[in-house]
Amino acid sequence: MAAAGGAKPSSSKKSKKAVLNKSRKGNLHVFQDAPIYDLLKYFDRAPDQWAARYILIFSTIILKSAVGLGSYLGEGQLPIHGDFEAQRHWMEITNHLPVSQWYFFDLEYWGLDYPPLTAYHSYIFGKLGLFLNWSWFALNDSRGIENPGIKYFMRFLVIISDFIVYGPALIHVLSLIGKRFNMNRIDHIVFTAAFLCQPGLILIDNGHFQYNSVMLGLFLFAVAELIRENYILASIWFVLAINFKQMALYYAPFIFTYILANMFYNYYDVSKSYRQLIRSFNFAKVFLVGIAVLLTQVVLLLPFIWISFENGFTFDILRQIVIRVFPFQRGLFEDKVANFWCTTNLVIKYRELFTLPQLTRLLLLLTLASIIPPNLLIAWKLLMNKKFTKNSTHRIVILLLGFAITSWGFFLFSFQVHEKSVLVPLMPTLLLALTRDRFDLVLIQWIINVTSFSMYPLLKKDNLVLQYFTCLLVSNWIMGALNVKKNTLMIPKDSLFWKLIIVSSYVAMLTYHISDQFLAPPARYPDLWLILNTTISFAYFGIFWLWLLYRAYVLN
Amino acid sequence: MAKTSTGAAMSLPREVQSKPEPKDQPSSSSPSPTDQFSLLNIWLILLAPKLLVAVGYHSTDFDVHRNWLAITHNLPLSQWYVEATSQWTLDYPPFFAYFEWFLSQLVPAPVKADGCLQIVPVGNYGLPTIYFQRATVIASELVLFVALQWFINTCQLYLSKKRAYAIAASLALSPGLMLIDHIHFQYNGMMYGILVLMLNCARLDQHLMCGFWFAVLLCFKHIYLYLAPAVFVYLLSGYCLSLKYDNKKSLVNNVVGLIQWTNCLKLGLVVASVFTVAFGPFAYYGVLPQLFSRLFPFSRGLTHAYWAPNIWAIYLFVDRVLIQVYKSVPLSRTILQRVFQFNAGLLSNPDMLNKSTRGIVGDIEFFILPTITPQITFILTLFYQIMALIPLFFQPNYKRFVGALVLCGYASFLFGWHVHEKAILIVIFPITFLVCNSKSLLAPFNLLVSCGYVSLFPLIFTPGEWIFKVTFTFMWFVIFYVAFNAVVKLPKNVGGSSGIMFHRLTQLYILGLVPLILFTSMMDLFESKYEFLRKLEFLKLMLISVYTALGIISSWNGFSWLYFVDETLW
Repeated sequence: MAAAGGAKPSSSKKSKKAVLNKSRKGNLHVFQDAPIYDLLKYFDRAPDQWAARYILIFSTIILKSAVGLGSYLGEGQLPIHGDFEAQRHWMEITNHLPVSQWYFFDLEYWGLDYPPLTAYHSYIFGKLGLFLNWSWFALNDSRGIENPGIKYFMRFLVIISDFIVYGPALIHVLSLIGKRFNMNRIDHIVFTAAFLCQPGLILIDNGHFQYNSVMLGLFLFAVAELIRENYILASIWFVLAINFKQMALYYAPFIFTYILANMFYNYYDVSKSYRQLIRSFNFAKVFLVGIAVLLTQVVLLLPFIWISFENGFTFDILRQIVIRVFPFQRGLFEDKVANFWCTTNLVIKYRELFTLPQLTRLLLLLTLASIIPPNLLIAWKLLMNKKFTKNSTHRIVILLLGFAITSWGFFLFSFQVHEKSVLVPLMPTLLLALTRDRFDLVLIQWIINVTSFSMYPLLKKDNLVLQYFTCLLVSNWIMGALNVKKNTLMIPKDSLFWKLIIVSSYVAMLTYHISDQFLAPPARYPDLWLILNTTISFAYFGIFWLWLLYRAYVLN
Repeated sequence: MAKTSTGAAMSLPREVQSKPEPKDQPSSSSPSPTDQFSLLNIWLILLAPKLLVAVGYHSTDFDVHRNWLAITHNLPLSQWYVEATSQWTLDYPPFFAYFEWFLSQLVPAPVKADGCLQIVPVGNYGLPTIYFQRATVIASELVLFVALQWFINTCQLYLSKKRAYAIAASLALSPGLMLIDHIHFQYNGMMYGILVLMLNCARLDQHLMCGFWFAVLLCFKHIYLYLAPAVFVYLLSGYCLSLKYDNKKSLVNNVVGLIQWTNCLKLGLVVASVFTVAFGPFAYYGVLPQLFSRLFPFSRGLTHAYWAPNIWAIYLFVDRVLIQVYKSVPLSRTILQRVFQFNAGLLSNPDMLNKSTRGIVGDIEFFILPTITPQITFILTLFYQIMALIPLFFQPNYKRFVGALVLCGYASFLFGWHVHEKAILIVIFPITFLVCNSKSLLAPFNLLVSCGYVSLFPLIFTPGEWIFKVTFTFMWFVIFYVAFNAVVKLPKNVGGSSGIMFHRLTQLYILGLVPLILFTSMMDLFESKYEFLRKLEFLKLMLISVYTALGIISSWNGFSWLYFVDETLW
């Protein structure tokens, strides 16, 4: 067991490392005062620490199953349904129909519109479901089925998928990063618990009903391989992530940049002239990575390709998959979301100013403008800055920052964004909490709260208000922001600017919750509270994104 | 377990920990001791599961308490114990009725509109009522937290504080309370809070307050009458009598001096006034007979539909086994007939037999073994209670007192008439206060809590709560298994192979609960798929109650042994 090596470094070793990481001196006992110590008091001996870790992991299952007692989107509202019915329906059709029909069958009724890996996932779990109770997944007859049996079976599947993919991935990445940053072991166990209990993810996966954690878990495996400089494996994991849920594409530009920037031999030695730099490019390795990506994709599509060949080289199915997975024909802004377009649309009516193709081009331009410069900056730093040598902690920080910045850029500026998509940029942002000091921790706990807040309108639709507040309580409690005793991590101590920002954001959120709960919006603007929510969220997301950019810029 | 043998070596690495903590002395470093051992954080995080399960399953007890809210709110006091629109009539003592009346005053308008306060045969309520009543349980549980915090704060030494904290945390986080109060729906948290107040008064030698709190507790819920003998003897021997024979005085003086008259008078006054406040108003209205007939209904059967894990579960199990033997082995019939002298005619009636083996409580519970009457259960309970009281009478100190409470609880739980599985808390709460005193107590304790809590599982039978109840209980057990092992006092006479053997066996037995839970859960899971499993519903419950009953009886034996034999403990 990994935890067997959990003995703390001896004091001499510690001091040596402390000299190495002067900037991170304060990080050794981030959670020294966290309330969770009240429960882990008896586990602080090294041989018991592994128990503490498993206790926390299992405790998150308690939380998840308890959230699952709440309703999912569309429960009890028969004609509408929601993601729950969609997932159940996919389990039904993948088990009853031939592969060739999966992406064609009755598209009007929750047709399959996720990539193949989700379809296989549905197929396997559907098999299990059919074995347990045939009536839950009877073709056509089971539509809109609602009973405790199917509900908790599906809830169980989410917890299991999460436990198989997301949990191990998170533990793996955290221990990798924790080791590099010489983190206190209990701290790093607390981080694991905190990220497993991340309110947004629990509420969406175990409440609203989706399988985001699987995609995020696959992505985390890719991050782990990137940290270990195993780019072929990383790209395979990443292709898997995309094939589970297309939302993982938010990370794609940066993983491309990062792998490409790492394809130079000894670049910091030869970087005196650009010609030498270009000459040091490792074409063979790039080729290998490309082949790995291609092969993985082909293997994932194999059943579909097989049928295409059988049907005489007609690639209708593959085209249909692409059409279903990337529905470009949908509108530009879906709902009211806390991103740039929905927010500025309040003032500037884009649809009146531009035609649709123009608008599409504008969207694309701004998205690229938000993503390309930071990517270039990071690539430049990786190539030219000697501080970013292999095995340096700077490299891990810039890797996480890059993922965070790129995906936040996508979330804030691209089109067709769901409020749930915020989980994608949040994931690398969370990992950043491990890399510096308490100050970052405060900001990251704060952004966790803001992201949950931004999903509140959706959760209210799901009847998950109680669960929303409880999950926030748990998350803040674990991270030590809600500590009855002392040393609250809610508000930073040293920076006046951030103090103002964070306090103002909490005041704004509170105002929103009170007005949403007790005041009806004016008749002229029925969406006023919703807009208030998205505007508040966008403002603070924007500030946070700028801060990330600044951090990437000053990191030297 | 390596820990049992290397207990002494264990404490060494603790000293070189990163967290510098002074040992065996009042903490003088920056975090003040009350800060370090505060239950507030635990209370805060526990809010989360409590709130989340609020929307899940609740039992008919929820409607029972809702009905009581309605009765106490709408009717005059004289009618409380007379009203019978719903079958869930008020059958708790007066303080609980007052408490319900108080709660009913707090019902906000939307909850009222939801039907919370209607006197109807079957409650017709929605989410607002659920939220309100769940909130009252969570709020009333504060009594427990305050009591436990007081218990911690009144410990003087650092080490004893540390032990008290482990005890308090284990009770605050108890899966029993989570399952019974917050899912099933009852107000045990508050009741046991009062019990803890009483115990701590006893610990601090405040006999008068001890008597006061116990009287209050009795007026809240009369199930605690089972503990009354221990409290009575403790107060009698420790407060009202002085068992010292003074040779200088005459015999008469000694006899008079035997009784501490002022103490008797004070205690009598306190207890009497509590009972007057409770029962006085009802006596004034002349409804005491109705009240008492509600409190003590004797029309119920020996066991519940689901057998509580006690002696009678084993007894019934043996009866069911003998029935099968009788039916399938013709040779055995005459022997069985000779030995037990039962009415064979009953066994030939398949309808009756079917009903009974399914666990439906009918008039006849036993077919082959002799029938158990309430008198028998009463005598057995009293006998074992008196056994426990004799040492207490001669040695009325705190530890003996808690030990006697535990044994009284055990006796009533194991031999009582119509015992609920929920009543196991009456044993678990007091025994937890003792467990840190000696490592040898850990084995019976672990056996008791694991079997006791697992026996509560059938109470929450809905699929949604399955993961919750299992993981919560499992986590609790692991946390406090380690915690108590870390803080417990080591016995003076280390060694003794029988103790270690018992320890090992209990651990094996506890591990056996895992396949038990898995197996019964699998039966649940496949019920909709395989028709025959539905007929075996009763077998599943029987398995759980017999297995846990054996565990609880063994833990009782282990504890009794220590209570009566190991003098160093007390």
